[in-house]
Amino acid sequence: MALDMGAAPETLLSVRGLSVAAGDRPILTDISFDLAPRSILSVIGATGSGKTVLARALASWLSPPLRVTGGRILFRGRDLVADPAHARSLAGREIAYVGGNPAGALDPTMTVGAQLVEKLRAVRPDMSADDARKKAIRLLEAVHIPSAQRRFHEYPFQYSGGMMQRAMIVDALISDPALLIADNITQPLDVTVAAQILKLMRELNAQFSTAILFICSSLPVACDASDEVMVLHEGRVVERQTPAALVARPGHAYTRELIAELPTLWQGGENGASRATDRERRAIMSVRGLAKAYEVRARGQAGISRVQAVRNVDFDVFPGDNFGVVGESGCGKSSLMRLLTGLERPDAGSVFFEGENVGAASPKRLRELRRRFQLVLQDPYGCLPPQSPIGAILEEPLKIHRIGNAAERRDRARAVMAEVGLDDSLYRSLPTGLSAGQRQRLNVARAMILEPRLLIMDETLSALDQTEQGKLLDLFDKLQAQHGFTYIFISHDLTMVRRVCSRIAVMYLGETVEVAPNERLFFDPGHPYSRALLSAAPTLEERRYRPEDCLLEGEPPSPIDLPPGCAFASRCPHAFDRCRTENPALRARGGHALAACFLNPEPDIGLHETVTETPHV
Amino acid sequence: MFILRFLARRLGQGAIIIFLVSALIFTLLRVVPGDPVRLMVGGMAPDTLVEEIAAEMGLRDPIYVQFGRYMGKVLQGDLGESFVRPASGAAVGGASFDDATRGERAKVLDLIAETAPMTLQLAVLAMVFALMVGVPIGVWGGLYPGRLPDRLALYTSSLFVSLPNFWLGIVLALLLSVKLNLLPAIGYRGFSYTILPALVLAVEIAPFIIRTLTVSVAGVMGQTFIDIARVRGLSRNQIVFRHALKNSAVPLLNLLGVQFSMLLGGVLVIEFIFDYPGLGLLTINAVMQRDFPLIQGIAIVTAAVFVLINIAVDLLATAIDPRLDY
Repeated sequence: MALDMGAAPETLLSVRGLSVAAGDRPILTDISFDLAPRSILSVIGATGSGKTVLARALASWLSPPLRVTGGRILFRGRDLVADPAHARSLAGREIAYVGGNPAGALDPTMTVGAQLVEKLRAVRPDMSADDARKKAIRLLEAVHIPSAQRRFHEYPFQYSGGMMQRAMIVDALISDPALLIADNITQPLDVTVAAQILKLMRELNAQFSTAILFICSSLPVACDASDEVMVLHEGRVVERQTPAALVARPGHAYTRELIAELPTLWQGGENGASRATDRERRAIMSVRGLAKAYEVRARGQAGISRVQAVRNVDFDVFPGDNFGVVGESGCGKSSLMRLLTGLERPDAGSVFFEGENVGAASPKRLRELRRRFQLVLQDPYGCLPPQSPIGAILEEPLKIHRIGNAAERRDRARAVMAEVGLDDSLYRSLPTGLSAGQRQRLNVARAMILEPRLLIMDETLSALDQTEQGKLLDLFDKLQAQHGFTYIFISHDLTMVRRVCSRIAVMYLGETVEVAPNERLFFDPGHPYSRALLSAAPTLEERRYRPEDCLLEGEPPSPIDLPPGCAFASRCPHAFDRCRTENPALRARGGHALAACFLNPEPDIGLHETVTETPHV
Repeated sequence: MFILRFLARRLGQGAIIIFLVSALIFTLLRVVPGDPVRLMVGGMAPDTLVEEIAAEMGLRDPIYVQFGRYMGKVLQGDLGESFVRPASGAAVGGASFDDATRGERAKVLDLIAETAPMTLQLAVLAMVFALMVGVPIGVWGGLYPGRLPDRLALYTSSLFVSLPNFWLGIVLALLLSVKLNLLPAIGYRGFSYTILPALVLAVEIAPFIIRTLTVSVAGVMGQTFIDIARVRGLSRNQIVFRHALKNSAVPLLNLLGVQFSMLLGGVLVIEFIFDYPGLGLLTINAVMQRDFPLIQGIAIVTAAVFVLINIAVDLLATAIDPRLDY
């Protein structure tokens, strides 16, 4: 490693012995590295390894209690730590920063275009407003924002997450910076959009010769994106190699562990396919032709628009199943969850839970049914009342359903806490001090205290890091073995679904486009969208599907005005005329797999049997 | 297009609100004790005369009949005539029950039109004073939460909010007009008579402005887009004046709408203390004299003003923050 050689003349950024502390606690210790112009360096590390602090230190954006305690940050040979005024003058001009939260990054009350122009003119006061506007529009086009001229005049809230992230990249690049610090920019995005952004970043790197420091927490993404990968562990640089070398010969124990722990999609390892599903028994939950639309009043437009959140959803979940529902944001996963749990009534179709229609049950009956199916939500922070002690949170469902007396309820709560691995001493404490993982354990405990038969997990694990996810999945397994739970996992994370689910439904714009057993979905997907998802999934493995072949540029159409025909046709490389006029229904492909695509051969059996997935198909 | 639909909807809702307010006021006035005719004709008049006049004025009809008759006139822009006030000035009533001047009683609309501009002038001036004090203190406090400016804002507003307005009015009148002879206090004979009551009202309103602003500015300053603006290369002044203030304006605007409506509805105590000839004083006298048509007229006009101010506030708020969609 060439870490300690003096700054070569062509070095753009050279960090020497940088240490940052929060109060007395060191966050970064003795960080040294060089970055050449026009190169892309990834920085990877676990949560708490100091990646974001490093990014902020380089952008001169540390706020108390964080402060630099030693070392130098040389940008073109001048020390930024010693000269804060110089560092400030570089911010936004020579050193640009893009964060991982594009949603809140711009003023919601001003148009995106106005803010791009404002930023450019703040760092280059000599530029005229007209030139600045032209440049902004040109760059918006360069990052593939459709009809950039019009989008320039729109407000941040009118942009989707992916578009907003592109706009923030424009914001960073508009002043032609020499260094771009990209802090977790793909984290909040869907895999297919993230793949597009990564591709875009590579193009821009070549086009504008900007050096990029790419910070991220996913090793596959880091390897995909960069020329070299630097691994950060507990605030220290532990190694730096090219992606291929890093994966082949990891030098540090942490890197080896990271690579070993990485869930795989195609190469062996633990997966949910081996799980035996009892298809002979009656389905525990059975969804038929489910549809739900929400009415919204669009701005500046007469009348009411209907957002078709859920359109055609069909699937069966059998006892003991780990059923997965995957899809990207906006595909209707959460609306589906609300329908499955009876929080909302469907416009059409039905949800049968143990033979009873949840969608048509009376409120009283629904409450009784809820004892047997429970929900665990995504946000570990928002769904716990901050002012109730943990014991009281757990006992509340028992009180609602009038089960046991106070002493029995307390014993039950303590027993469940022990089962999910929460220490007994937490019984009286508030949830405030719990980590995200502990909070999700508490949420699971609250759901299972009523001894349900079915647990619906809506993105329950997506707020947790890889290690914590693994632990919770083990817990789910253990609980399933003990209590015979059936799980429905609603998730956007293919690797998680691959690991735990026996059967998986893929959703796109409110429809189930494919329902297939685990193995079949990953090795022989029946829908082009499933292939696109697989091609974009972050993995180090040899891909079975290449993004170039599977996905066209662009984002999903709006669920307000859906095109006739197949909703995926606008992004599908295989779309032909029929796809644009007629919407394919789910049809059987044999082996309990169904897909909604005309490219699959017409089955011989009648239409009715193809959409109704009976246990005997 | 959007604006027109918005206005049509909100004005329609406003009309319903005004109708309900009128119905409520009208009914309550006739249900509570106190016969206006008795007050009009005086204590010495015989009961038969009271009944005769009451019947003649339609006051013995069922309430819904009276209300229907009244609303019919209101729709034509006629708020009726005062029971007691003559067009000329001095109050009618007392012994003059049998005089012929009843035809010259003052029009309610005229009475309101005379006094409303006075109250408007007082309200606007009070608002200006309050904003002059409240905005700098509030913004400053919001920029440094938990630090000295924030505490200063808290202390100022606590102090202001705990001064009773009638007491402050009397003290200020004593200090500024009696001792120092700087400002006139009682009655109205020119613009300078507005200053003192406006000051008292401003002290009453300023704490709300200060608190709202400190909270909303501090909230906005904690948001990502403000935090990240510095890294994007914007200067502190740009961040505070172009982004932070604009974003914290909406809560303030809502507050100002409510406060301004209350000021226009008549500031009873202050106008009474300073004998300021505005809507408040008119209201007090109307209530004391059981002047039903006048009370109803004031109620309707005030309700209409509330509705209009609310519509204006919502329109302005949408202009500031396009995410709001009323």
